[in-house]
Amino acid sequence: MDLITVTREEGLKFSVQLRGHVVTTDMSVDEGGEDGGPSPVEYLGVASGACLATMVQAYCDTRGYTDGDVSVSLTLEMVDNPNRVRAIVLDVELPKDVPEGDREKLKTMASRMPVPATLRDGPRVDIEMF
Amino acid sequence: MEMVELGGKQMEIDEDGFIQDPDQWDEAVAADLAKTEGVDDLTDNHWKLVHYLRDYYLEYNMAPMIRKLCKQTGFSLKEVYDLFPSGPAKGACKVAGLPKPTGCV
Repeated sequence: MDLITVTREEGLKFSVQLRGHVVTTDMSVDEGGEDGGPSPVEYLGVASGACLATMVQAYCDTRGYTDGDVSVSLTLEMVDNPNRVRAIVLDVELPKDVPEGDREKLKTMASRMPVPATLRDGPRVDIEMF
Repeated sequence: MEMVELGGKQMEIDEDGFIQDPDQWDEAVAADLAKTEGVDDLTDNHWKLVHYLRDYYLEYNMAPMIRKLCKQTGFSLKEVYDLFPSGPAKGACKVAGLPKPTGCV
C-alpha cells in the first residue's frame, strides 16, 4: 500500500495525496468548515459504494451482463455518543440481464468485498502522535 | 428555541426546525414543515413515508432504521431521497414530527 498523506489547506479543509492523486476533505458549514469537499465520514460511504460498484461491475463484465451498468445509491445512518456510523445502507442497481440466481450470489459476494469485509471485522487502528 | 406558526398553531422548534412537542403534530403541521424542506406538495408517496415514520415512532418511541423504512414502504433509497431531498433522517423525520436524529452527516 502506498503512503497516504493528509495536509491542511485552510480551516478544516485538508488535502489528501496518494499515488499522485489529490482529493479534498472539509466539514460542512454547520460543523465549522466551509464545505469545500466531502467530510471524512462521508468518504467512508464513498469507499463502500465505490468498492461495491467496482467489484460488482467487474463480475457482470466477466459474465457478459451488459443490459445496463452497475450503480450504487447509499447513505450513512449516524448515532451519537460517540458520534459514529451505525449503518451504511446501500442499494445496488444491477444490469437488467443478471439472472435471479446471480443476484443472490452477488449479494453474498458483496459482503465479502474488501471495504464491507474490513468494516465488518473492525480493523486495528494503530495511532502514534509525534 | 424559537416559536413559529405551523399548521395554524404556534409551536416551538429547535435550531434545525424540528418541532419539540410531537403531540402537536398533525397533517397541516406536516405540510408546513415540508415547505421548509423544499417540498411544496405532499403526494401520496410522501404521506406513505410520513405516516410509516409517525406510526413507527408512536409504537417504539424511536425512528426506524433506514433499511427497515425502505423495506416496509417499498421505496428504494433513491426514491426516498427523491421524495425528501434532505434524506430520511433530516427531511422525512422532520416532516413526520419526530425528534431530530443524532449524528453529523
